[in-house]
Amino acid sequence: MATIHEQIDELLAADLHDELSAAERDGFHAHLVECAECRQAFQEEKNMHKLLNETIADKKADPGFEQRMVSRFRDRVPKRSGLISVVADLLRVRAVQLTAVAALLLALAQMGKMITGESVTPSKRNEYISDIVEADRDKPGASRESGLLSKTDGRSKGADLPAQNPPPPAPAQDKSNTPVEGLRQLPSFVGNTKTKKAEVQDENAVNEKEAPAAQGPSEQATPSPLANRKLVRNATAELEVVSFDESVQKITGFATEEKGYVATTSSEKQANGKLRGEVVVKVLPDNLDRFLQKLRGIGELKNQALTTEDVTKAYFDTESRLKNARLMEQRLIEILKTKSKDVADLLAVEKELGRVREEIETMQGELKLMDSQVAFATMTITLAEKNMNIPAAFLLKEKAQLSLYATEVEKTYNEIKALASPKVQITTAQIDRDNTGRVSARLSLLLAPEESDAVINKVKGMARVENFQVQTERVSQGGDGLGENAKTERDKVELNVTISRDEQEQSLQQTTLRVRTSDVNEKTKQLRTIAEQQNGRIRSSSFSRDPNGREYANVSLRVPMKNYNALMQSLNALGKVENVSVHRDDRPNAQIDEENAPADVSIQVYSQGNIVSEETGIWATLRRTIGQGAAALMWSARMIGVALAFLAPWVLAIAGVSWVMRRVSRARAARKLRAEEEAGPQ
Amino acid sequence: MTDASEHEIYRAAIRGDRDAFETVIRSFSRNLFAIAYGILQNREEAEDVVQDTFVKAWKSRWRVRDAAKFPAWLSTIARHRARDLARRRRPEPLPEDFESSEAVEFESAGQKADLDGEVRSALAQLPELHRIAVTLRYFEEQDYGTIEQTLGLTNGALRGILGRALGLMRKRLKPVLASIG
Repeated sequence: MATIHEQIDELLAADLHDELSAAERDGFHAHLVECAECRQAFQEEKNMHKLLNETIADKKADPGFEQRMVSRFRDRVPKRSGLISVVADLLRVRAVQLTAVAALLLALAQMGKMITGESVTPSKRNEYISDIVEADRDKPGASRESGLLSKTDGRSKGADLPAQNPPPPAPAQDKSNTPVEGLRQLPSFVGNTKTKKAEVQDENAVNEKEAPAAQGPSEQATPSPLANRKLVRNATAELEVVSFDESVQKITGFATEEKGYVATTSSEKQANGKLRGEVVVKVLPDNLDRFLQKLRGIGELKNQALTTEDVTKAYFDTESRLKNARLMEQRLIEILKTKSKDVADLLAVEKELGRVREEIETMQGELKLMDSQVAFATMTITLAEKNMNIPAAFLLKEKAQLSLYATEVEKTYNEIKALASPKVQITTAQIDRDNTGRVSARLSLLLAPEESDAVINKVKGMARVENFQVQTERVSQGGDGLGENAKTERDKVELNVTISRDEQEQSLQQTTLRVRTSDVNEKTKQLRTIAEQQNGRIRSSSFSRDPNGREYANVSLRVPMKNYNALMQSLNALGKVENVSVHRDDRPNAQIDEENAPADVSIQVYSQGNIVSEETGIWATLRRTIGQGAAALMWSARMIGVALAFLAPWVLAIAGVSWVMRRVSRARAARKLRAEEEAGPQ
Repeated sequence: MTDASEHEIYRAAIRGDRDAFETVIRSFSRNLFAIAYGILQNREEAEDVVQDTFVKAWKSRWRVRDAAKFPAWLSTIARHRARDLARRRRPEPLPEDFESSEAVEFESAGQKADLDGEVRSALAQLPELHRIAVTLRYFEEQDYGTIEQTLGLTNGALRGILGRALGLMRKRLKPVLASIG
């Protein structure tokens, strides 16, 4: 009953609390009868139980306690209205929390996008306009005037034209808002500014469509500023057409329709028989845009550019200088008439008059030129005919590939080189020797068509041909269809020759066999003589003897296919031929000279050796066993080392961490204990 | 009440059903009071702790994943609250409180107060869990299984705890017990 005695504390309490099973209680009471010590403890415990019931039990919560708790809870946590509580409860669900976080992030991202202005549609326009403004600023001489001009424009047009787009934000560098305002009516602005070129590229289709559309009304609305401006408009276009002549006719028609004329045409015939040329058309500037539209119907538009140059200032400068020069002329004539005394003076005045008149003429010419440029816009059209279907001629290109096997690569290589003549050109020739002593050569020849067959046959005769391929290509010139009338020409034949040593050649047939004989050495010698008789070459041989006294000689040799059968016959004389296996590589794609193709034969000549091996018997077995045991021991030692290498760092790390943690918890416990001791004695 | 219907009530309380939660308050407030008293040895403070425990439990009820552990969770909150309170009044240590008040009472109330004080000081010297176990048992006289569930103990653990607790107290109160005997 030792266990009952040891567990007496537990049993005493459980008995008093009526928590013992019947069997436990019987055992316990039986023990009490035997054990005086436990009986004593039982008595004490009973007293204490009574004492505890008396003292502690009356500290317990009073009967109204639960009701008090409930009503205080009601006070402290007031009932919320239905909706709020539903929302509050919902917010506690993990899925709802995640959704809310995701929504918040999305909202932030969207806000960031709005702030940085990453949306696509409005910004494109802004960029385009600010580019122009930038370009404007690059020309400081013009900028002030253009600013002024556009200011007046903007004012006069503001009433007539409602803004098509909300004004883009002005770039911060701009001092005033006015240039940007002016830019809103882009085409007219370009027209008004001095020495400004606005190129309308074809790929910028949106802008191009807008340009003519916006130009119409703006020109009509503001006739006064434009009427005084001298504008030179030029355009270039490149078109691909079916027929050059037809297109020129159409263009001439369009030009007449738009009150213009064809100034020049030029054309040239190209190698493939196509025409390519240029047409310069002069049309009234106002009709230029319409003309451009019509032009598109002629053929495929490759590119197009439109430039406008304002020559107003230059024009009026020249005009006023001309006026001055005329006055000067009048004065000089008057001097000549009235104050002519001295001949020298007279001459000087005459000379001056001549200079002034020359100047006047030049300026008149300039003005006339400008007038004509302003009066008519210049349109330069480049026309190119499309590729036609019917080719002009065919060219037959032949390419031949020849692989050779030669016993002496260098000799063959030199023979081919010696063929060189005006009709046989050698374009490349190289001979390679790698570090294992293998030699190969490569030659490229260009052969005149009439000589080619003869030369190729000659080269083929120089060595054994491994492979020969001819590739013929018909190249059509100036078209991609089939031409019945086109003549066919033979181009030079390109011949590429590679020469390798026949040793490197892969054998057509490989044979392995074993010959059992009593005297390996003697039979191997015989084998060598047989091989020589059959025109074969020994490629490698080896000899070995194993611990059992068996001898092996491995001989590998190569013979031409025609001698193969004779060789196999004569091998029977050496001994018993065993384990013959033949492997043949057929190369259906290559032209093979079968008679001379090489066949490899590997022969193992071997003897029987001792009947009882030296490696048998009790001692040998014992030796082997001990050896294997030692090896296993060493292996396990190595494995243990590996395992230690795996575990040791972790064990050390864990030990270190647990040591620190134990120190910390011990220090904390000590502090707590101290605090309790300090508190205790009082 | 069967286990299933109890769990149903716990689940409803966790979902936010106030009636169910008030039922829980009614059935657990005495247990929690016993726990708090076991730690604090002071009725007013223990009552406050029970209050706070229910309010806090209501606010963070959605953290309870397993309804079966709801009682143990409540008692854990109460223990933490009580412990916090005990720590806060450290500067005015617990035993001093007793003995000075005992000393005053000793003269006036005589034998009964003396016994009372001895028992309380013996109880105060027990480890926390033991103290709680004793108060829970003697306040509400519940069976061991219920107490184990309340405290989140494994089955059968309470027997050892109570045995040790009473054994320790017995040894400490030996002279007093002898005098009663």
